[in-house]
Amino acid sequence: MAKKLMKGCEAIGEAAIQAGCRHFFGYPITPQNEIPEYMSARLPQVGGMFVQAESEVSASNMLYGAAGAGIRCFTSSSSPGISLMQEGISYIAGAELPVVFVNIMRGGPGLGGILPSQSDYFQSTKGGGHGDYRLLCLAPSTVQEAADLVQEAFDLADKYRNPVMILGDGLIGQMMEPVEFKKVINPEDLPEKPWATTGAKGRKPNVINSLYLDPEDLEKHNWKLVKKYEEMAKNEKRWEVFNLDKKADILFVAYGTVARIIKTAIEVLKEKGVNAALFRPITLFPFPGEALEETAAKCKHVFVSELSTGQMIEDVKYHLGKERKVHFYGRVGGMVMTPEELVEETLKIVK
Amino acid sequence: MPTVFVEKDRCKGCTLCVEICPHGVLEMSKEINAKGYFFPFAAKPDECTGCRNCVMVCPDCAIQVEVKGKVSERPKALAEKQVHYCPGCHHGIIHRLVAEAIDSLGIQEKTVGVAPVGCSVLAYDYFNVDMHEASHGRAPAVATGIKRGRPDLIVFSYQGDGDLASIGMAETVHAANRGEKITVIFVNNAIYGMTGGQMAPTTLPGQVATTCPYGRDVNLAGYPIRMSELLKELKTPAYIARVAVYDAKTIVQAKLAIKKAFDYQVKGVCYSFVEVLSTCPTGWGMTPPDASKWVESNMVPYYPLGEFKNPDKGVVKETER
Ligand SMILES: Cc1ncc(C[n+]2csc(CCOP(=O)(O)OP(=O)(O)O)c2C)c(N)n1
Repeated sequence: MAKKLMKGCEAIGEAAIQAGCRHFFGYPITPQNEIPEYMSARLPQVGGMFVQAESEVSASNMLYGAAGAGIRCFTSSSSPGISLMQEGISYIAGAELPVVFVNIMRGGPGLGGILPSQSDYFQSTKGGGHGDYRLLCLAPSTVQEAADLVQEAFDLADKYRNPVMILGDGLIGQMMEPVEFKKVINPEDLPEKPWATTGAKGRKPNVINSLYLDPEDLEKHNWKLVKKYEEMAKNEKRWEVFNLDKKADILFVAYGTVARIIKTAIEVLKEKGVNAALFRPITLFPFPGEALEETAAKCKHVFVSELSTGQMIEDVKYHLGKERKVHFYGRVGGMVMTPEELVEETLKIVK
Repeated sequence: MPTVFVEKDRCKGCTLCVEICPHGVLEMSKEINAKGYFFPFAAKPDECTGCRNCVMVCPDCAIQVEVKGKVSERPKALAEKQVHYCPGCHHGIIHRLVAEAIDSLGIQEKTVGVAPVGCSVLAYDYFNVDMHEASHGRAPAVATGIKRGRPDLIVFSYQGDGDLASIGMAETVHAANRGEKITVIFVNNAIYGMTGGQMAPTTLPGQVATTCPYGRDVNLAGYPIRMSELLKELKTPAYIARVAVYDAKTIVQAKLAIKKAFDYQVKGVCYSFVEVLSTCPTGWGMTPPDASKWVESNMVPYYPLGEFKNPDKGVVKETER
């Protein structure tokens, strides 16, 4: 397919369609309204179904139903809406169903603001809803990568029978970039889901459920989920290392659009004689901790920057250990750091 | 001569069969069964006319009657597994009616049921169809997802009053308003059975529950919500009826209404909603026969039975109900 100039939100929607997804259930919220709007226009053209739910609580439970029936489906929302979806997400994780969620994060807490943020890292990687479960969490940093990861998310969700969260921010949703859709999947070619509620014809009834009244069974179920998360950790860790040739003065650690700002800062630092590199986790869960350790070992300083007051930094510190000092620079509330700010902060550290 | 068969170890001794028999055929035994309950037997077998009221009313599917060589059977869409409900709880009767409707329309292989959170949370074990266990109150949303994903399926939700009229009010009203082609079976027992008998949005004025120990005070809790009346006001076409299962006549009416509701979905006509007034002998602190009588004497005056809306006529006038 030829490259097309598209807004991030629209690219996310089209990527889902090209991945064979024909069902969207959602509720409007800024800054991602372009996704439901795009889906409401596009899905009827391809024989799909767009449903504007009465709330995000309802939308996540519609996804729970559709995914249980074996339907490739997704939704998008932004932080306050994703909070309301946690009920459905927890049930979907418990019942082991494949659903793709997109969170175009905005600042919080509460109603917060409508501008870009990365303040839902904890929510996305450490739980969010009730119960012991994990989402596979992917963080794109360009529109092209958003499209690629959305397409991949559907396959990963199917592979692990687990909800997948695409964690983006308002910048990625709103910026325009050329994008190409690498996969074109016809929904009819998707693999059968023999466990789904498709009508018990010639087989025993299927049940989609997250209730285990016997504590032994529930314990077994929880450990089974853990096995799955370990399997994800073995197979799915993704990251990018930028501008590292043997050694660096400082290693930035950042994900999503912050990583783009850092790439600009790295160029400026080069002119100032500072050799800076970037480690960018693409999967936030599973977190590519070993790769980070290896990379950090080659760098004098470590510097985490986020659009939050410090969330991912906890994972960075966990992997690098107490001995290692980890510097931090965060902007919040919809404020976004400039490359100049990062250069200035870096110079303070390396001097 | 008709013959009554009692599968005694399925019986929970609720005595509803003894009460409903018009000819006094059944009496309770002096022995107990494997569960520790007294069970019925045909004390006057010659009096049996084969009306099968006892079959219909038994919440545990423990009675069958042979008439002219033909033995009544449990519906195919009802699983063999015994329901866990308290003795005399109407959930068992209503399960059977739903299963009978599925059987009679020949839709077992394409039906998906959505179980609620409430006493009927385990309904996924009791129906011989694909089932999906929803979160509390969201059954209509889950059903929407299934139906929109696979429109050829017949999708029903089965929900209590706390589930449907309190926590799930938004999902209920909006699924109805969108005209989802689903069938909602609403079991109104005026109480939260599962969690131990707390006040429900349908608890009657003055009725005692564990969170309104002095009786429901309408100044604080408002009046009980009449869901059928509320939903009938939506402009979207729908089939809406309220029935009960406290005696032979109401059970037959309930059976017809539930079948009609499914039939509207099979024909792709409209959203369908059947409210079934039900008992909670344990939560109400009554014997099963007294609870059944209480439905008639206390609930029906506040929750009148009948068809409230259908896709042909729209809202049915009170005088025509
Ligand atoms: C989110 C959530 N809140 C509360 C509960 C606890 N809970 C379980 S069932 C129930 C009420 C059930 O009452 P009803 O729907 O009337 O059904 P019944 O048990 O009477 O058949 C409640 C409050 C829950 N499971 N989930």
